Amino acid sequence: MYGLGILKGLSVTWKRFWDTYIDDISWAMSGRKRYHTEEGIRHRSSKNTKGIFTVQYPEEQLIVPEEFRFIPFLVYEEQADGKKEPRCTACGICSKACPPQCIWIVRSSDSVTGKPVSTPAEFYIDMDICMNCGFCAEYCPFDAIKMDHDFDIASQGRNVYNLEKLLKPASYYAEVRPLNYNQEEEARKAKEAAKAARAAGTAAAPTA
Amino acid sequence: MDNEKLSLPNYDIPEDMQDVVAITTLDRLYNWGRRSSVWPLMFGLACCAIEMIAAQTARYDMARFGMEVMRPTPRQADMMLVSGTVTKKMLPVIVRLYNQMPEPKYVVAMGACASGGGPFKEGYNVVAGIDKFLPVDIYIPGCPPTPQALIAGMIKLQEKIDKESIKKVRWYNKEKKDGNYVPMPILGPDLIDVRRNAEIRDISAKAAVLKESA
Repeated sequence: MYGLGILKGLSVTWKRFWDTYIDDISWAMSGRKRYHTEEGIRHRSSKNTKGIFTVQYPEEQLIVPEEFRFIPFLVYEEQADGKKEPRCTACGICSKACPPQCIWIVRSSDSVTGKPVSTPAEFYIDMDICMNCGFCAEYCPFDAIKMDHDFDIASQGRNVYNLEKLLKPASYYAEVRPLNYNQEEEARKAKEAAKAARAAGTAAAPTA
Repeated sequence: MDNEKLSLPNYDIPEDMQDVVAITTLDRLYNWGRRSSVWPLMFGLACCAIEMIAAQTARYDMARFGMEVMRPTPRQADMMLVSGTVTKKMLPVIVRLYNQMPEPKYVVAMGACASGGGPFKEGYNVVAGIDKFLPVDIYIPGCPPTPQALIAGMIKLQEKIDKESIKKVRWYNKEKKDGNYVPMPILGPDLIDVRRNAEIRDISAKAAVLKESA
């Protein structure tokens, strides 16, 4: 029979349409919210969902896994007096590892002696070249550059980010990637403890 | 934009007339009409196009912004979504399509390649950013931008349309005659000159012979 395929296809849409209302009512009956809540978004993103599964973007966002990466940012430690201390030492490993070569670093120098100081004076990343590969974050030996979850960065001009725009506090990093942050903190503490033990050992050695 | 924002009168309407009368500016009405029916031109260049397609599916549903009607002809399109790597071979076609689009027209550079050349920015065959040839309105970073990032960029475009004024937009500017026409890229400096292909092949063949004999 002609047109059977069309009817079959339309019935799928028809079923989805009614499933949406059935789901909405059953969620409302059980007192849960299907829209604009984490539970609701998770359900609608899962394979068990029936009916509509649109994530209504500006109002609600798809829940991304921790390892989701968009653009890089620089981590800074918040000092007690409110000063920002970037973890970056301007070693330039990230800019060498960067495949599309979109990182530009200027190392600061001592104003008196002119010797290089291990902090960045300028740090630029051309976000319109960045390909979100995450190599900079992988190669950084100081955990200073990390990949962000924030993707709402489109603008009317070229997105070249300077140091001011790139710097984000360590607390933000802990919030975005809690598992990674805790792992790194533990590793750092273990390293410091080992160093202290070794220092104690060498201090004790001459007397023995 | 909802009705409250559309009729933001600077005039005092008497209270008993407020449900009957709405005062707005021509600009606001004009922009309101256009912002919610931005029809993209249907073409995809590279991997960004896959994300563009994903943004049109039920999960993200660009139809919520009135952008679901992908027109396969430039005559009916309002927005050119340059989704992907623009090669030098493709560039004349894109510029021609842009010239064929009726005003008002917008260009959105989606992804790293279209906005700045991306990893191919110093390549021999890729245009390092479509903004060298076309007036880009919105740059969306990402490689590729996720569908949500694309929608975020589209919202930025709507915000830009909201702020436009009929008096100032470039397509109604009488002083700039043909102000919207983008000259076609020239063979040679802008593009690969295919007429020189035989010559280049000769040179490389001679170099190979010299290398063998050495």
